[in-house]
Amino acid sequence: MPGGAHTSTNVGSEAGGFRILGGTDGNLRIAAWGYWPADVVASFLANAPLAAQALVPVGIFVFDCKELKPQGAEGQEAIRVLFRVLARSPFAKGLIVRGNAMTCMQLARLLRECSAEKRIEFAEAEAFGS
Amino acid sequence: MGSAEEEVTRVIYKFYDALEDLLRARGTAAMEEIWHHTDYATTSHPFGSWARGWTEVKVNWEEGAAVFGVYKGHEHRSDRIGGINDLKVVVLGDAAYGTGIYRSRLYMSDCELNLNLNCTNIVHRIDGVWKIVHHHADQAQPDWQAAIGRMVEAGHS
Repeated sequence: MPGGAHTSTNVGSEAGGFRILGGTDGNLRIAAWGYWPADVVASFLANAPLAAQALVPVGIFVFDCKELKPQGAEGQEAIRVLFRVLARSPFAKGLIVRGNAMTCMQLARLLRECSAEKRIEFAEAEAFGS
Repeated sequence: MGSAEEEVTRVIYKFYDALEDLLRARGTAAMEEIWHHTDYATTSHPFGSWARGWTEVKVNWEEGAAVFGVYKGHEHRSDRIGGINDLKVVVLGDAAYGTGIYRSRLYMSDCELNLNLNCTNIVHRIDGVWKIVHHHADQAQPDWQAAIGRMVEAGHS
C-alpha cells in the first residue's frame, strides 16, 4: 500500500495469528494464518474491527488469508464482527487473498451472512506477488 | 464380534455413512462419533489443506457441513450422494488402513458433478475400540472445486 506512515500489530505464533498493517493513508491490510487459539481470537476481536473503522472512502482493504485455516466457532464470530464493520464502512476496494479452498468457502459464507459479499472480492495470491 | 478386518471394514463404511449424513444436512454427530479425538488425528478433503489435531479436524467437518448446507440437489432423491468402492483393508496389530475409491454425484441446478477419488483411511484400536484417526482424499478436479465455490458464494446449488 503506497503512502502514509504505518502502524503494525502482530499477534499469535507460527501456529496461528494475525498481523494488522494500518496506515495514515486510510488503507488497511490484515494478514492471518493458521488456526487461532482463544487468546488470538480475543485480540483479533479487540483490534481488527477497530482498525477497519479507520478506512477512508478511497482506501483499500486487503485480508491476506492465504495461510489461514478454517476457524472454529469463536474465530468465525470474530471474523463476522470485522465483516459487519466493513459492510457499513466507506472504502474503495476490498480484497481477500485466496489460500486454502476450505477457508475461502468459510470466508465466502461469512461474507454472505454479514451482507458484505458485494464489498469484498477474492483475489489470487499471485496478484500480490506472493 | 467379528475379526479385526471385519471390524475395521465396518468402521470405514460407517465413516462414509457419516459423511453422507454431513453432506445431506443431517448433522456432524455421526462423523464426530467415528473418530478418536486425538492430537494426531489428521484429515484432508477434496478441497482444502491438511487439518491436524482433533480441534482442526472437527472444524473441517463442521465447515464441510456448512458448505453443503446450501446443497439441495438430493432433497427429493433417495440415491446416495456417494460411497466407498473397491475397499481393501489391511490390519497390522492395533492399527489398520483401508484404501478405496470414493465415487459421488451431485445434482446441481445446471449440471451434474461427479467425483472419483482415491482415498485412504487409517483406523486405530484404543482400549479395544476401532475408530478413524486419519482420512485422506485426493484433491478434486479444479472445475468441481470451482463449482462448489460458486455454490457457496451464491448460497444455493
